[in-house]
Amino acid sequence: MKPKYFVSACVAAVFFGLFFSAVPVLATQTHGQPEGLYVHQFGHLFFLFSMGVLEFWLRSRNLTLEPGWLYIQFAAVLLLLWNMDAFLVHFLDEQTALLHIEKIDPWHIRITPLGEYTSIAVLYYLGKMDHLLCVPAMFCLLLGLKRLAKDMVKANQDTDTP
Amino acid sequence: MIVSYLPILLVDLIGSILMIILSFLCLRFLFELRKTDPNNLIWTFLMWLGLALACFAVSRSAGHLLKNILILSGHRSIWQTIRPFSGGINTITFIAAGSITLFFEGIWNTYQLILKDRKELRITHDKLLYLNENLEKRIDERTRALAVSEYKYRQIFEVSKDMIIVAGKDGRILNLNPSGCHMLGLDSVQEIADKRYVQEFLSDKKGWAAMMSTIETNGFIYSDEYVLQTSDGISQRALFSVSPAKGAIEEEDEVYILVKNIEKRRLMEAQIAQADKLASIGELSSGVAHEINNPLGIILGYSQLLLRNEGKDSPLYQDLKTIEKQVKNCKTIVEDLLRFARTSPARKEKSDIHQLIEDVLGFLQHHFNPDKIKIIKNYDKKIAPMLLDEKRIKQVIMNLAMNARHAVGDSGTIEIATRADPYRGKVSITLRDTGYGIEKKHLSRIFDPFFTTKPTGEGTGLGLSVSYGIIQNHGGTISVESTPGKGSTFEIELPLNG
Repeated sequence: MKPKYFVSACVAAVFFGLFFSAVPVLATQTHGQPEGLYVHQFGHLFFLFSMGVLEFWLRSRNLTLEPGWLYIQFAAVLLLLWNMDAFLVHFLDEQTALLHIEKIDPWHIRITPLGEYTSIAVLYYLGKMDHLLCVPAMFCLLLGLKRLAKDMVKANQDTDTP
Repeated sequence: MIVSYLPILLVDLIGSILMIILSFLCLRFLFELRKTDPNNLIWTFLMWLGLALACFAVSRSAGHLLKNILILSGHRSIWQTIRPFSGGINTITFIAAGSITLFFEGIWNTYQLILKDRKELRITHDKLLYLNENLEKRIDERTRALAVSEYKYRQIFEVSKDMIIVAGKDGRILNLNPSGCHMLGLDSVQEIADKRYVQEFLSDKKGWAAMMSTIETNGFIYSDEYVLQTSDGISQRALFSVSPAKGAIEEEDEVYILVKNIEKRRLMEAQIAQADKLASIGELSSGVAHEINNPLGIILGYSQLLLRNEGKDSPLYQDLKTIEKQVKNCKTIVEDLLRFARTSPARKEKSDIHQLIEDVLGFLQHHFNPDKIKIIKNYDKKIAPMLLDEKRIKQVIMNLAMNARHAVGDSGTIEIATRADPYRGKVSITLRDTGYGIEKKHLSRIFDPFFTTKPTGEGTGLGLSVSYGIIQNHGGTISVESTPGKGSTFEIELPLNG
């Protein structure tokens, strides 16, 4: 199957999965507290998907051969990773049975994983520092745009030069 | 597991501040890109994406900073109030950023199409500009080429020695070249404006219909012979080649006609046939004359021998005299025949042609009544003495002069003219009379031996034959033109240097 059709099929599968798995509702549904979190998490998944698609398109159009677009591709990948990280941290935040987080004082926290899964605690701790992904992503985007602007000015100068 | 919160706090605070700074720096370059090329769809797209990301970065970072400040300052309850708004705005901003991102492919494809169209437009524009700039020059070139071409084909039309007619299918002459005017006896091309038709100039009035029928059947006519009747009433044989016009729409009902006058060629062919015929007759005559000459000589000899023994009063004497006379007549005829057949070589010597003519006219002056028969002499004094057999040339001139005298009857004009043509190396002697002329049916036979239109006993019909033979023997030609009722013209052409 071609990548383009594969992506379309995935989108359709997600849409119809969500559509048909919805529970029957009355005319006006009451939105409880978890819905906000779900929407936020779906938002992260959607953003993740968008960045994945962007990265795929940039590569398939060979735009990544140009330095400006290559940096933008890096930004897309980093934002994709950031979304994965944010989704995971939000998920773990809500898994009180799996992971208990407690603030001892303003400068320390206690992370208590279920049983011996200390790696989850480490993963959570590192995941909380998500700016380590999104800041480089924005930096790459900045570099990409800067390079595109520079190339554009150069191209205009070449065009103007007889 | 107890861990320090400080790294998380520091990364969060510094990261949030950096996110805001970086997002604004991104916007700066996006504005710069947009400013460089406001019509670039990709930059517009990136502008919207950058704005969405900036909103997301500002919203999220501001939320994080506010959260940390409020919590550290002991206002957790306030943060709990603000938190849902901050989280909601965050969600909206990155969903917006994600949504805008998904338009990338469509935007890119559209932009590529725009670029392609723009490129084609530019090429077309350049071409149009080039055409526009060079239009005048190209028009000039084409006009010049057209003028040259038109001149060339007009020249062919004008200088062609054959008649070229452009005619409608009804036969109306639409255009005619100068040769055509001359051939048809028209004064000018202007005359065809008076609705002249090809049919008018054809002897066979059904000829045009036959031509059109052939064109319908075969698509063309190639070298069909028709007789042209000029406006002066002269008939001329001509070859017609006709083709229907092909090309411009308005020419569909036209035909192009090429007419080659073959009258001269036909006359020449007739002359050649005549010469061949006379040569054959000459050969035959020569053979017969040789065979008859000897018996005649014997008969004459014996007659004269018998005459010696007979007295003048003897009845046999008169009979023998009659035999002698008739045998002499026969010998004269035989000699003429031999002269016609050119068996004996000419004895040429330098002679003044005018002197020869004068000698003949002097001899014949008793036969002409000077009051009623006018003799015009038109001599070309530049003619130098020529190599001629005087006796025989005199005989030719005498034959022609006597014929002219006979033709004019009691009154009329006889003109004798000479003319030198140094370019052709010829001298022509023309003898023109205003007599009754020669009928067309006789023209082809007048040089035949024994052909005469005179009553029986007045001529042997050998005069012109002998003249023909003599002139041929001199390497010249003799020809005749005659219009019945108006007179005849005999023209002798002799080589200038014998």
